[in-house]
Amino acid sequence: MPVVAIGVERLNRFLGVSRPMAELVEALENLGCDVEDTAEVVHYRCAVCGMTTEKLAHEAPPKRCDQCCHQCDAALSEGSRQDVIRLDLLADRPDLFDTGGICRALKGVLGIEEGLPHYEAHPGTIVVHIDSALEHAESYRPHIVCAEVEMPPLDEEMLRELMRLQESLHWGVGRDRKLCSIGVYDLAAIEPPIKYTTIRPDGGTFVPLAYGTKALTARAILEEHPKGAGYAHLLSGLSAYPLLVDSRGQVLSMPPIINSEETRLKKGSTRLFVDVTGIVEDAPKNALHTLVCSMVEMGGLVKTVEVVQSDGRSSSWPDLKPRRQPIDLRDARRWLGLDSSNGELRRLFRKMRLSVEGEGDKVEVSYPAFRTDIRHPVDLYADLAIGVGYAKMPSAQLPTPTQSSQRPEELLANRVRQILLGMGCWEIMSLIQTTNDHHFDALRIEPKGEFILISNPKNSEVNIVRCHLMTGLLETFQKNRRKSAPQSFFEVGNVVLLEPGAETGTREERRVAFATMGPEAGFATVRSQTDGLLHELGVSGQYRAEEHPSFVSGRCAKMEVPGSAGVEIRGRLGEIHPAVLERFSIPYPVALAEITLCRVL
Amino acid sequence: MAMELNEQEHAVLSLLSRHAGSPTVGDVAQKTGLDQAQVAAVAHTAKQRGWIDVTEKKRSELSLAPGAGELIAQGLPERRFLDRMPPGQPLSMRDAAGLARELGTALNEVLRYGGQRGWFRKAGGELHLTDEGKAAAGKPAPDERALQIVAERGPIFLDELEGLGVSEGAAAKLLAKRGNVAKTKVRTFRTLALTPVGREILSGELIVKRLRSQLTSEDLTTGGWRRIELKPYDVTLAAETAVPVKSHPFQRILEQTRRAFLEMGFTEMVSPMVETAFWDFDALFQPQDHPARDMQDTFYLARPATGRLPASELVERVKRTHEDGGDTGSLGWGYRWSEDRARRMVLRTHTTATTVRALAADPNPPRKVFCVGRVFRNETITYKHLPEFTQVDGIIIDKKANFAMLLAVLKEFYRKMGFQRVKFKPAFFPYTEPSAEVFVWMDSKKTWIELGGSGVFRPEVTKPLGCDVPVLAWGLGLERLAMQRYGLGDIRTLYWTDLDWLREVPLCQ
Repeated sequence: MPVVAIGVERLNRFLGVSRPMAELVEALENLGCDVEDTAEVVHYRCAVCGMTTEKLAHEAPPKRCDQCCHQCDAALSEGSRQDVIRLDLLADRPDLFDTGGICRALKGVLGIEEGLPHYEAHPGTIVVHIDSALEHAESYRPHIVCAEVEMPPLDEEMLRELMRLQESLHWGVGRDRKLCSIGVYDLAAIEPPIKYTTIRPDGGTFVPLAYGTKALTARAILEEHPKGAGYAHLLSGLSAYPLLVDSRGQVLSMPPIINSEETRLKKGSTRLFVDVTGIVEDAPKNALHTLVCSMVEMGGLVKTVEVVQSDGRSSSWPDLKPRRQPIDLRDARRWLGLDSSNGELRRLFRKMRLSVEGEGDKVEVSYPAFRTDIRHPVDLYADLAIGVGYAKMPSAQLPTPTQSSQRPEELLANRVRQILLGMGCWEIMSLIQTTNDHHFDALRIEPKGEFILISNPKNSEVNIVRCHLMTGLLETFQKNRRKSAPQSFFEVGNVVLLEPGAETGTREERRVAFATMGPEAGFATVRSQTDGLLHELGVSGQYRAEEHPSFVSGRCAKMEVPGSAGVEIRGRLGEIHPAVLERFSIPYPVALAEITLCRVL
Repeated sequence: MAMELNEQEHAVLSLLSRHAGSPTVGDVAQKTGLDQAQVAAVAHTAKQRGWIDVTEKKRSELSLAPGAGELIAQGLPERRFLDRMPPGQPLSMRDAAGLARELGTALNEVLRYGGQRGWFRKAGGELHLTDEGKAAAGKPAPDERALQIVAERGPIFLDELEGLGVSEGAAAKLLAKRGNVAKTKVRTFRTLALTPVGREILSGELIVKRLRSQLTSEDLTTGGWRRIELKPYDVTLAAETAVPVKSHPFQRILEQTRRAFLEMGFTEMVSPMVETAFWDFDALFQPQDHPARDMQDTFYLARPATGRLPASELVERVKRTHEDGGDTGSLGWGYRWSEDRARRMVLRTHTTATTVRALAADPNPPRKVFCVGRVFRNETITYKHLPEFTQVDGIIIDKKANFAMLLAVLKEFYRKMGFQRVKFKPAFFPYTEPSAEVFVWMDSKKTWIELGGSGVFRPEVTKPLGCDVPVLAWGLGLERLAMQRYGLGDIRTLYWTDLDWLREVPLCQ
C-alpha cells in the first residue's frame, strides 16, 4: 500500500491554524486514516529537471531523480527539511490522498469549518473530440473526461503535491493505471480543440516527458522509456495506442503511458488542462472529480471541458454538483446504537463536511462528487459514527441471549489431545500448505494427480494443500533430530481431499497423527498407542497387514473400527521406511500412525 | 528416658570420649571411618546441643615450591658457594663471578642470601668471608634443616619443627623471603572435645539409630524404621525441573478463543478451506476487480479449478447487487458481474467466508455464530509472514444489533482473553459499514497492537442472503496475539515446532 507524507507545516498553513503534530495525528486516526508514523523528510534537488525527490531524513540521499528518472553519479543536492505525517493510503477514500483533501476533512472534525464544501465548475470553452477508433478492440480505451483549471502560478510545492496526488489516484482509483490514468498539462503549450485519437506503434513520434529532447515513436517509448517499459503491459495486444493531440498536432500524451515534454507543467504555469482516460466509465470520473476538487483546495478555479463522442453526442465535465441521498435518521440511530437527537445528527453530518436538507426524521443528505465511497445510506451512517468518535460511542445493550454449541469434531479433537498428551506425546501444529516434494516424493508416494494444486504460489515454498498429516510430523523430527531421543509428537488437524461432484470439489477430514522417533521405536510402540487411543475413545479396532510405500514392508497395518455407524475412525500405522527417514535426515526409526477421526465437510 | 543418637553422632562422641586431647575433624574422620563432611555435620549439631566444644586453630604449613626439590637436593646457592670459598682469603669479584658460574648459580643470589645470613661482606671490591660465615661452614641453618625435612617427609606444620630440633621462628623468618623455594599456607583446623554434658549423655542410656538416606519397603513392613533416622537434606537446594507434556501453546490460545465465544452463547461453525470465490468474495460484496482478489494476494487453485455456485436465485441477487445494487438500496459497483469469476476456487482468504455461509444457511435472528479457522494469503514465508494464519470470525444476527453493540461485544471478548484496554479506529472494508479496526493495549510493550477488523455487514451483503436485520461481524487474527503473549519475534516458531520451546513455555502464560 503506498505511503504518502503530509507536511505538518503545510497542513497547518492550509488549516489556517497551528496544531501540534500529536493532535493532528489523533484527528487523522479518528477520521480513519492509517497513520504509519511521523518523520522528518529531506527534499533533494535534481540538477537536470530542477524538481525534488523526497527521502526520509535517516535514509541515504537518492541517486536517481523520481521525477525525470535522471540517474546522477553523485547524490542529488540536499534541499529543505520538514516534519511529515506518513499515511498509508486508503484505497476507499481517494479524497483523503493529499493535503488539500485531508485538510478539508480535518477542518470539519477540528471545528474550523463545517458543512458541505462548495465546488463549482464554471463554463469553459475547450472541446475534446473522441475518435471512434478508441471504441475498437484494437485500441480500446473509450472513456475520457477532462477539465480546465486556472491555478495561482505553480510553485514547486504545488507541482510536487499535484504529481503525488496524480500517482496516488493512479494507484487507488486507476488500479495502477489499469482502469484509468490521468494527464495534467500546461495549457499554454496547447491549442484547443483537442483530439482523443490513436497512434500506430510506428505511426509518428513525439518527445516523451523527462527523457531528453529526442522524439520517439510509440514503439520506441514502450521499449526504451522507463515509464514506457513499466506500463507497456497495459497496451499489450493493441495495434493502435490512445493519443491526445491538439489542433496543431502537438501531442499531449499517450495514455496511460506518458505525457509529452512540450506540454509539461512548469513552475509558474497557471492554466492547466486535465484529462482522465479509462477502460470503464466510473473510474475516470471519480479520479477527475477528486483531483480537481483538491486543486480547488490549492486555490484553483475549475472550468468545464466539452467532450464530443464520435457520434456527435456531447457531455460536459467535470460534474461537481453535490450528490444527494435521502435517509431516515431513525434508521441511522438504530444502525449505530445512538440516541442522539435529530439536531445532534445534523450537526455531526456538518462536521463530516456534508449538508442536510429537510426537517424531521426523513431528510436528504448532500455529499460532494468525490465521495465515491458513498453508495448506500449506511455509508452516511458510518460518517455519523466517525463524527461521534468510536471512543465515545454509547455503551450498548447486549445481544439477545442464545444457546452455545460447539462442533462435534472439536469435542472429539480435544479428547484425542488429552489422550495423546497423557501418553507423553507433544503437540505440534503445521502448515496446511506444503510442497509436492515434501508431501509425496519424500514419502515415496505417487499421488496420480489426486490432490489440491495451487495455481499461483508466490514461490516454491508451498504449492499444494495437504491430504495427510505425515509430512508435518516427519519435518518436526527432522528439526529436532539433534535433541535427545526418544521423542513423540502428534498433530490434530484437517486434511483436504478431492471429491468430484461436491460443491467445492473437495471434502475435509479431521485426523490425528502421532509418531515416536527413537532407538526402540517400532511397530509395537505405535500399535500400543493406537490401541490405547481407541480404548479411551470407547472403541476397538481391527487390524490387517497393508503395503504402503512410506512404511517398511511387512510392518504396516490398516486399522478400522467396524460396525459403528456414524463413527468413521480408520487409519494406518507402521514403521516408516528407511528411505523416507533418510530423506528427512532422521537418525532413528520412526513409528507412526495416522487416523481419520471424522469427516468435517 | 533413653537418649536417641544416630549412629554417626554416636561414633563421633564415643571416639572423643576415648581420644586423648582434642582431635581435629580430620583425625576423627580417619578414626571413625566417616568422611570429613559427615563429621563436620555431626560436630555442628552436637555443638548446638552443648555436647561438644569446637575450637578453631590456625596452623602454618610449610611445603616446597613447585620444582624446588632439585635445588634443595643440591644445596642452596649461598651454601654451595660457602663450601667452595677458600677460607681466610678474600675473592676478587671477578673470581667470585667465576666461581658462581662454575657452580651454575647466579652470583647476585649468592650475595643476596649469603649477605642476609651475614656470611659474606663486600669490601674494597673484594668478597670477604665473615666470622659467621666461617662458623656456618658445614653446619646447616634452621631453614635449611626445615627444607631438608620437608623434602624428605612432605609438608610439615611449622609448629612441629621445634619438636624436631629446629628453631621454628628462625626457620620461618629465613624462609619468608624465599617464595621460589618454599611456601607456607595457613590452614584452619577444628578440634573437637567432649563437654561434661556430652560425657554425661554418653554414660547414660542410649538408643543408637542408623542414619539412612532412603526408607526401604522392608523398613516399613518390619517396623525397622523405628531404628533408623533419615538424613536431613538442604531443602533449599535446586532440583532438576520436571516438565509435563503440554498442548501446543498456540492451541491453548485457540481453545481460549473458542471458550470465550461459547461462554457468550455463540454457535461454532465450519466451512471449507478450499472455497469458491463466490463465498469468499462475491457474497461479501467485494467487486470482482478488487485488489484483494488479485493473484498477488489470493491463492487460486489449478485443481479443483472451479466449484458449484449456490441456487440460481441467490446468485442472481448477488449479481444484481454488484451491478446496480439490486433491491438493497445501493448504487452497486457499476460493472458486469461474471459468474465464471465467482466459480473459481481459492484457498479462503478469511473465515468471513464461513460466517457469511452460516448467515445464508439461516438468516433468522437471533443467532450468534463463530468460527476459528485457517485462512490463506499469497505471502512469502518470512519471520513476519506466513502464507496461512488463523482467524476467529463471528457474526451476530439480531433485531437489536447495532454498531455500539459490536464494540461492546468485542471488548467483552478481549476482556475474556486477558486484555483490559481495547480501542477502535475507523476503517474501510468492502462488506461492512461502519467498519472498525480493533486494537488491544499490550502492557508489556506499552503499545497498541492491531488484531483485526470488524463492522456491521452492509445491506448489500445481508439482503441478497435473505437477512433483513443488522448483522455484526468481525475477523480477528490470532497469531499476532500468540506472538505477543509468548514474546516471539518469529511467527514461524508457531508452525515449525522446536521441542525445547514446547518444553519451556509455561502452561499459564
